Amino acid sequence: MNSSIALVLLAAFGSAFANVAVVGGRVYTMESPEPIEGATVLIANGKVQAVGVGLEVPFDYRQIDARGKVVTPGLIESYSQFGLTEIGGEATTVDSLVAEYPLGPAFDVSFGINAESTLFAVNRMDGVTRAVVAPQPGVDPLAGFGAAVHLGEGEIVTATRIGLFGGIGASTAAFTGGSRSALWQRLVTAFAEAGRFSPSRYRPGERDYSRHDMQALKDFLRADVPLVLSINRARDIRAAIELADSYDLTLVIVGGKEAWKVRDRLADADVTVVVNVLNNLPSNFESLGARLDNAALLNDAGVNVLFTGGGTHNARNLRQQAGNAVAHGMPWFDALAAMTRDAAKTWGMEDLGVLRVGSAADLVVWNGDPLEVTTWAEHVLINGEPVPMRSRQTRLYERYKDLKAPYGYN
Amino acid sequence: MFKRAFCGLLVFWFAAQLVQAREPYESTYQVRPHPNTLVVNVSVLTGTGEQLDSVDVLVREGRIAAIGRDLADDRAMRIDGSGKWLTPGVIDLHSHLGAYPSPGIASTRDGNEATNPNTANVWVEHSVWPQDPQFGLALAGGVTTLQILPGSANLFGGRGVTLKNVPSRTVGGMKYPGAPQGLKMACGENPKRVYGGQSKAPATRMGNVAGYRAAWAKAVAYRDKQKAFAAGESDKAPDRDLMLDTLAGVLEGEILVHNHCYRADEMATMIEVAKEFDYKITAFHHAVESYKIADLLAEAGICSAMWADRWGFKLEAFDGIPQNIALVDQAQACAIVHSDSAQGIQRLNQGAAKALAAARRVGMQVSDAHAMTWITQNAANALGIGAETGSVEVGKAADLVVWDRNPLSVYARAEKVFIDGYLYYDRLDPTRQPLRDFDLDQTVAGDAR
Repeated sequence: MNSSIALVLLAAFGSAFANVAVVGGRVYTMESPEPIEGATVLIANGKVQAVGVGLEVPFDYRQIDARGKVVTPGLIESYSQFGLTEIGGEATTVDSLVAEYPLGPAFDVSFGINAESTLFAVNRMDGVTRAVVAPQPGVDPLAGFGAAVHLGEGEIVTATRIGLFGGIGASTAAFTGGSRSALWQRLVTAFAEAGRFSPSRYRPGERDYSRHDMQALKDFLRADVPLVLSINRARDIRAAIELADSYDLTLVIVGGKEAWKVRDRLADADVTVVVNVLNNLPSNFESLGARLDNAALLNDAGVNVLFTGGGTHNARNLRQQAGNAVAHGMPWFDALAAMTRDAAKTWGMEDLGVLRVGSAADLVVWNGDPLEVTTWAEHVLINGEPVPMRSRQTRLYERYKDLKAPYGYN
Repeated sequence: MFKRAFCGLLVFWFAAQLVQAREPYESTYQVRPHPNTLVVNVSVLTGTGEQLDSVDVLVREGRIAAIGRDLADDRAMRIDGSGKWLTPGVIDLHSHLGAYPSPGIASTRDGNEATNPNTANVWVEHSVWPQDPQFGLALAGGVTTLQILPGSANLFGGRGVTLKNVPSRTVGGMKYPGAPQGLKMACGENPKRVYGGQSKAPATRMGNVAGYRAAWAKAVAYRDKQKAFAAGESDKAPDRDLMLDTLAGVLEGEILVHNHCYRADEMATMIEVAKEFDYKITAFHHAVESYKIADLLAEAGICSAMWADRWGFKLEAFDGIPQNIALVDQAQACAIVHSDSAQGIQRLNQGAAKALAAARRVGMQVSDAHAMTWITQNAANALGIGAETGSVEVGKAADLVVWDRNPLSVYARAEKVFIDGYLYYDRLDPTRQPLRDFDLDQTVAGDAR
């Protein structure tokens, strides 16, 4: 076969099956706190083929020069509304909560996730490769089932019904006439009834859960996915631990501004806490105990700590959250693990969050310490595919970087 | 007897001089007595765009007395600056601390007098609760001066106030002496949503603009009547109107306009309104689209107070890009990083760092020292106190922060924060970390139960 035909064939199939070699970087596989210096990561068919020093790179692999750079697995956002929100203040673009319609635990966000949202491209350019997409409490404090997505091309939803989400606090207590105590009663009763729920015999009253909601709760109690509750107050966190314990559920606390107060109990009960590090304000009477070193204290006590960017539009600020956790006492590697290996493990994302043979090739090449705000991502791969380093924001930059250019056509 | 009476009168006269010296609402801030301070062998980011390495900085009587090498002062408190960085105190041009305090509950939400689209008569300093724990959190982030503004529900929100970030029982004790007041204005979605939602004016952007113009027209007439009376051309002063007093203050150049505005085209319209009534816009706030008209802003001499990367929460914020601050700065328009957030105010240095990174990512050459101007001198200028503070220069107020590393790092923590030479915050000394009343036995800082 002559070389020009070979080249044409390579070009035709090359983009679909292009294998990649990331060469010479300081690689954090996440299998140990020590990175591998000057290592090569070989990627084939979207998976990590090999990681090591001095690996031979096959001639047809696209090479990414990572010398002097830091290489990590892609970052995982543990609490977002990706695909469910475009403009936060415009209700017609927000699909993450159900208002004025009788749908509580049965709500499943996966039906509405819009892969064409501008938020994906903006955030993946900064190394966010996967995200948990969560419903938010609307009609009921049990908000419904979340999903997992990647931020790349094609079919982005990778798993549905990955957890039952909800929130306990002053705002959700409004549903039970303003009492948190009544809210707990409602939940405890609902869980108890879900166990023996029978659709043909169920006669819901006006404010009881619908048949669909009860069926969803019953299915949830039998599934092996976590109960994920947004809770700040220490007292309510304790109640959540007890509820999860009675039904042998895995518990994830989101927010947990006062979680440090019950960190030993959280560690004993294997509870995960998704911390918004930068939200350290005593903003109401359920978060008077807020503190910047919450994540560090939890981590020190052996609690599994994860991070969120604190708002889907800027999920990319996940790294800044992690950096601040380190500034206030959390070990650097643990903070990186919170965005990679530990997040993947918590959310059942198999073969993700680490760089080892067989894992999905989600990888970022950084021009420095990934937790530093003055560092950025130079290359981002999702399932071995390089992410185009462009978004609507870069497009706007291109138009306006030179105000003297002929306007309107640029 | 006459001698006694005369002495009594003399005493009374002296006392009267002391008592009548202070105007109502005037600042009662006092510089706290303090020792001289000598920071030795420190790296300085001056706030004016320069970096000085391995220098000593001497503070005497609340002012920066000297910057150089091998300075000496036997009476000074000595701080070893080796490996550390010194900057001017951080200045936040846009804050609602005290007016939207923690805890944020119905009874403390005092930032928006959303009962009329024109409340130029209210002064946000009358809403500021000095016991807001957020002031202490901001101090730990290096913030020495901040402008509190009313919210953006209204076309005219009211007068803003510049505060020194000091513990005080009264807001008067925090007011920056001699600083001009601000007038908060807002364009865009917020006013028309608040009032249009009640089927009142304004309900549209055109309604917003008609609202500003009607108010300014009244203000011009009021001001002219006052001037005519003062010049003896009329024998009746206009009835006092608190709202028009504020607008007239702007027309006279005494009160500085801080205009919340996101969209480029709306900022251009506000520039026209200012031209029609001959007043100055000191700064656009939020200014998410300033990068689109950076040339117009440079020409008009208007500052933009912006976020590093906030976007997408409203359509008027949908076009926010991380290079906004850098592009405004590059066009030689005054660029400022603000927070508008009790979280963000604690790390304005990180906001500046993110904007710096975004600039470098697209190939712009911007120094660390230059990025610091966005949160120090530029903000001081926009507050009308630029000659007093905002930079590490001899003669200026000793509003200073010693950081444990380069402040443009996410890991940097403020170690020492000085205001007028007094050490208000020392991270390594828990007794030198001010608490508000609400902190006591409630928050972690105040040893929560």
